[in-house]
Amino acid sequence: MNQTKVADNLILPESWRTKPALLVIAGAVLLLASFLLYQTTTNGTRYFFHTYLTSFIYVFSFGIGATFFVLIQHLCRAGWSATIRRQAELISTTIPFLAVLFIPILVLVISQSSILYEWNKAKEDLVGLTAEKTGFLNWWFFSLRSVFYFLVLIGMSSWYYRTSRKQDESGDIQLTLKLQKWAGPFVMAFALTVSFAVFDWVMSIDSDWYSTILGVYVFAASMFGFFGLMITLFMTLQSQGKLRENVTVEHFHDMAKFQFGFTMFWSYIAFSQMMLYWYGNIPEETVWFRDRLKDGWQYLSYSLIFVHFILPWLGLVSRHVRRHRTGLFFWAIWALCAHWLDMTFLVMPNAGPVNAMVVIAHILAGIGMVCIFLAFFLIRATGVPLIAIRDPRLHEAMSYTNPIL
Amino acid sequence: MSDHKPKKTTPTEPKKFGWIAEYADEHSLLTAARKVRDSGYTKTDAFTPFPVHGIDEALGIKPTVLPFIVLCAGFTGLATAAAMQYWTNAIDYPYIISGKPMGSWPAFIPVCFELTVLFSAFTTFLGMIALNRLPKFSNPVFTSARFDRVTDDRFFLYVDSSDKYFNKQSVQELLSGTGPESLEEVVEDSTPTAIPRIIWYVLGCLIMASWIPAAIVYKMRQGKSDQPRLHVFLDMDFQPKKKPQQTTTIFPDGRSMQPQVAGTIARGQLSEADPYYLGYDPGKVSLLGEKETFLVSTQQKDGDGQAAPAAAAALNLPWLTEVPVAVNDELMELGKRKFNTYCAACHGLGGDGDGLVARRADQLAQGFWLPPTSLHDPRVRAQAVGQIYYTISNGKGKMAGYGPSLDAKERWAIVVYARALQRSRNASEADVPEDKASKLKTP
Repeated sequence: MNQTKVADNLILPESWRTKPALLVIAGAVLLLASFLLYQTTTNGTRYFFHTYLTSFIYVFSFGIGATFFVLIQHLCRAGWSATIRRQAELISTTIPFLAVLFIPILVLVISQSSILYEWNKAKEDLVGLTAEKTGFLNWWFFSLRSVFYFLVLIGMSSWYYRTSRKQDESGDIQLTLKLQKWAGPFVMAFALTVSFAVFDWVMSIDSDWYSTILGVYVFAASMFGFFGLMITLFMTLQSQGKLRENVTVEHFHDMAKFQFGFTMFWSYIAFSQMMLYWYGNIPEETVWFRDRLKDGWQYLSYSLIFVHFILPWLGLVSRHVRRHRTGLFFWAIWALCAHWLDMTFLVMPNAGPVNAMVVIAHILAGIGMVCIFLAFFLIRATGVPLIAIRDPRLHEAMSYTNPIL
Repeated sequence: MSDHKPKKTTPTEPKKFGWIAEYADEHSLLTAARKVRDSGYTKTDAFTPFPVHGIDEALGIKPTVLPFIVLCAGFTGLATAAAMQYWTNAIDYPYIISGKPMGSWPAFIPVCFELTVLFSAFTTFLGMIALNRLPKFSNPVFTSARFDRVTDDRFFLYVDSSDKYFNKQSVQELLSGTGPESLEEVVEDSTPTAIPRIIWYVLGCLIMASWIPAAIVYKMRQGKSDQPRLHVFLDMDFQPKKKPQQTTTIFPDGRSMQPQVAGTIARGQLSEADPYYLGYDPGKVSLLGEKETFLVSTQQKDGDGQAAPAAAAALNLPWLTEVPVAVNDELMELGKRKFNTYCAACHGLGGDGDGLVARRADQLAQGFWLPPTSLHDPRVRAQAVGQIYYTISNGKGKMAGYGPSLDAKERWAIVVYARALQRSRNASEADVPEDKASKLKTP
């Protein structure tokens, strides 16, 4: 059997297939607009690259969230998620495209510019701890590592995707067993890769500072945002008449549970990091928080406690909200916005003080980047069944219900 | 003979509890459960060898109130932890830790988190037990011989007779209409309910055995032994640490307790430059002769103060001549109390040097006893308040220093009281208040 006939409700709506080109153009225009707006302010290019990094990390986090989700489903041999796993696979295969978006940052680093990464200055200009770190943080090693991170993530996500697609054709159970077998080692490789990628790309913008937990922080945030994206995409697809029988309220309930759990986990990690620095009170550690508690950024930092923890926690704690379509859609969109604010919190305070122009240009670039990301997703999803149609656990996922609590 | 045999009683009809139906797979169980639910029965239960998705809905089980109880318990834990920490750290026993404020919320959050989880977990567990009316050691369905297969490959649906719609015939008809493998009436367990005697024996033995450790401890504490001590916690009895008077190879001078590093100030040492704590003004020490300056400097540098009190006999420091605290009745009362506690044992309640210790020493007449000084000695009366304070703080001759036992204010209070005692022996008629003067004249 070469080509399986796929039911019409399992593929992307016809009207969506022409969208990618439009989205890419819109995204590019918005990014350009952001760049030009920044040029009207002092240090505009510096601000723009911080904004660009924020937006990049934001969309990249969906990719890592999806990769982890796919791995962990195989690791746990989960049955409930068989109908929603394909969408995570599709999101994770946008990483090769996202690597293209990383090129501007790589070019910036290779051209020895220090507007984004301070350690890229000439060695004699470096002071203190940063000067000691140049053995690790220098333009060529940084670039080499970045390429390596992409190779690892692209390798594992596309292998899982291709194998799953192969099963669409053959229905071979052995393929599932193979994926399960490798999930364990891959999760470990994933954890190290993501952690070090975060150290390089996000942590080193403040080259004096260090936090071994920041990788976990970004991972937790990514999962929170990723489930927001999953819920939003499924609900949008269902509004187009797709996947209605396959993704039920039970699946939404479970994704909402995940989102709720990662709200808690993010808060746990974020607070752990903050409390240790607060208690230790060592200058090279507290400097990061000092930057985030001045020049207008303090409003963002303090608001995250509510936007990223208390409100979504209270919002999603009830089973009735998690099973309520509109209620859950609201909190999924909320998670996407909160996650974007969180990534802004991680990167932007290092650029300089906040002002109205920065806010506008930053939002434009964020929307632009999301447009480009959606285009990548649509390119990947076109012509592909939106569920793993021959997954051996599909029947389990379809008949699955949450116990009444 | 036949009299002794128990009379044969006619077996009474065993109590009936309801109907139990057996199914071969979970699908027929779910179908049957839905049918029973739709007929209005609520006192039903299903027994399966593995968790069956959707069984709660098929049985018509109502959502439990447990999550809400747990939420409340979680918030209670949160509030308890917050209140407890704020009260202990900021109100009841304020103590600066790591230079943070007393009511330091970031430090409270981990405990708040822990107690939230703890309260929630206990409530979940105990609430589940309580709401399910557990523990329940037996269930009437256990009497069914076929029921044993529930842990293997069979699915059971049970309708209890306490259901308000229960009717023996109609339930039987309803269940047999669902195509069960078997259908039988659940009867009361006829096995004896008395607790077997062996359990009482074992329990008795266990209780007796539990006294053995206590008895051993009692014997060991009462008796004497020439064996070395038993070290239960070896690393607690022999800790790898150095105590002040021990030697060490870590430091070149071999002392385990190192002298203070030059140029540093330990906590509490700032007061060493304050006349209030010293009894003299260190700022004026430079006006003294070479010898005195040397003595003062040795005293300030050398913490152990053994040589200093002896040297103080010849000391002529710039003593304070005024008491540096407000003198009032309260201070006098404090001085009296402290004098009677600490000083009177030797110096006597009146300061004559005839305290109980001194009198006892006289009785023993051992020859080497130096009698305590009388406070009324002209030499002492001529001393400045600062010098008396200094003597109290650092001791003199046989007298130990009381600096470590009494704080500065208490020592000054004793000085004031000692001055009052001295004054009481040297008052003129003019010193007596008007209203009490009349008493004096009465013979």
